[in-house]
Amino acid sequence: MRRNAVVFFVMALILCLGLVLNTGCAKKVVKEAAEEKTATVQKEAAAAPSQPAETEEQRLAREKAMKEAALREEQERERALAAQKEKEAAAAARAEAFADIRFDFDKFDLKPEARETLKKAAAYMTANKNVDVLVEGHCDERGTVEYNLALGEKRAQSAMKFLVDLGVDKARIKTISYGKEKPLDPGHNEEAWAKNRRDHFVVTEK
Amino acid sequence: MRETQGPRIQGIQRSKGLMDKNSCFSLFTGFKAAYCLLLTVHCLFIAFFLVFGAAAPACARVYIDIDSPTLQKFPIAVADFKNLGKGADTGKLETWFADTLGGALQLTGFFTIIQRKAFLEDSGKAGITADSIRFSDWTSIGAESLIKGGFQVNGKELVTEFRLFDAVQGKLISGKRYTGKIDDRKDMVLKFASEVLLQLTGEQGVFDTRIAFAGKKGSVTEIYTIRFDGSDLEKITNFRSLTLLPRWSPDNREMTFTSYRDGNPDLYLMDMSSGRTRKISASSGLNLAAPWSPDGTKMLMTLSKDGHQEIYVMDFREGRSRRLTYNYSVNISPSWSPDGKKIAFVSDRAGSPQIYVMNADGSDPMRLTFQGNYNTSPSWSPKGKKIAFEGMVSGTFQIFLMDENGNNVVQLTTEGGRNDSPSWSPDGRYIAFVSKKNGRYRLCVMNSNGSNVRVLHEGMDGYSGISWSARSNLY
Repeated sequence: MRRNAVVFFVMALILCLGLVLNTGCAKKVVKEAAEEKTATVQKEAAAAPSQPAETEEQRLAREKAMKEAALREEQERERALAAQKEKEAAAAARAEAFADIRFDFDKFDLKPEARETLKKAAAYMTANKNVDVLVEGHCDERGTVEYNLALGEKRAQSAMKFLVDLGVDKARIKTISYGKEKPLDPGHNEEAWAKNRRDHFVVTEK
Repeated sequence: MRETQGPRIQGIQRSKGLMDKNSCFSLFTGFKAAYCLLLTVHCLFIAFFLVFGAAAPACARVYIDIDSPTLQKFPIAVADFKNLGKGADTGKLETWFADTLGGALQLTGFFTIIQRKAFLEDSGKAGITADSIRFSDWTSIGAESLIKGGFQVNGKELVTEFRLFDAVQGKLISGKRYTGKIDDRKDMVLKFASEVLLQLTGEQGVFDTRIAFAGKKGSVTEIYTIRFDGSDLEKITNFRSLTLLPRWSPDNREMTFTSYRDGNPDLYLMDMSSGRTRKISASSGLNLAAPWSPDGTKMLMTLSKDGHQEIYVMDFREGRSRRLTYNYSVNISPSWSPDGKKIAFVSDRAGSPQIYVMNADGSDPMRLTFQGNYNTSPSWSPKGKKIAFEGMVSGTFQIFLMDENGNNVVQLTTEGGRNDSPSWSPDGRYIAFVSKKNGRYRLCVMNSNGSNVRVLHEGMDGYSGISWSARSNLY
């Protein structure tokens, strides 16, 4: 909005000055062309030459305004860039705090690295009261649908309990199990399975 | 064939009016088949009747003891059918009947169908009655039983006659006549195939059953059903979500399943005739569908509303549910014993998933499996005595069978890849399961001794949660 105002102001100045500068030429042409228009132009022109000192002042003002506008624009750009960087950094911090945590086969206990991740998540949630989280528990493709739905639920609950123990309000955490139904990696080997045995965090802002 | 006439002949008619009703529930395209199946029970196929003097005590003799540990396939010949009409062009119906009937019997896994090229009989001279058959033509090529038949086409009407002979004794075991539309001919064949099974094995076939499963396509999993012979795939749900664990009611009229349609895994009940669904359990956490009691008055389910997965029973007469397991561990995948007195289930209370059994009121839980550290999916044979399950062996899953007290564990599948999710046929003779090999999934059926594995369906991105319907008394 502010930027628009500046642009409008500059444009208005340029228009105004343009009229003044063109007056001489306009006078001749208009005289030959149409009498009624001449009157109007003469009226306008009459104002301009009567203040030649102000024209110079205006020119300086215009330059100053333009410089200021450019400066403001530059500052605006920098600010936006900084905001963007900040946003990215925040997103990165959030992504790091809510990175997937992994589990061993048929296990739902938290591994040390999972605890480290969850500590960041808890810190983030403590610092950012405006976010809630949905913990999705997932499994690899081995075993039955039902058992894996149970196991996925246990995995999601493990993360929830840990976050609550670190002081996060339980009301801000929800859990859901997708069992083995939504693998991250469709592969059928240990590498894929390791990625699929996970808690995934979906962060929502209130 | 005039001598076989006498008893009244009724038409095989599909009630078009009722069938048309289906189309207004196009949202649930899938239930159509199940609906047909049900309709059929009531209104189609009152058909046939005509036992051409089949000896009453024929049932008394069981030609094939399918429970025998030394079960050998029973050699049977199906002769090309005879056109009994007045020379009308019937296409290839003569061989169609023989091939379709032979194919149906082959599916059962109990028969060796003798190849047509081995036949010695002069089909021009031989008839389809005992006195016009030279049985030595059949016994000499190894046939212990012989099926002959004839048909007559009148416009769109079809009359068929089927006869099952004991080739060794040279006598008729059973004969049937069916009258109906020409489009019903496959039903006629399956009906007689079921009669052959009844006469030779003591129990009719399961050609009129459907197998329900959750099928995955891309990111969507829906419920489907398919016939025992692998034909007529029907999509039951159209939720475009994750929908799992179909469970037939014992009368095939209803089905429960779990769906994430509204975000949470909730339990739904579908009326198979109208296709209408309603949510019957939507507590927080898992609401997993589980089998109905054999008498249809109760239904098991797994809920995790208390934070851990527990088995509940819903009593339809009382209109309320009751918790059966009290254990801070996973309690899941319950399966009724056929008498409804016991429930097998999976629990990881001892640290790894194992199969347990408890009384139907939840008392006296007892561990059944001790081999290996991952045993799940118990499925109690409708004939009792045996429980099928999946267990982990050398890094993959295979299907096992054990006595209902946990003894005599036998590995049924040995194929490379993974075999899981066993589900019994209502006659306890077959087990449907999911096979995965080289990253490709298949829905399969095998005989309960692990033989005769055949593919029911393949090509989807996954199959799970198999539930085999009861007989619909169609055949």
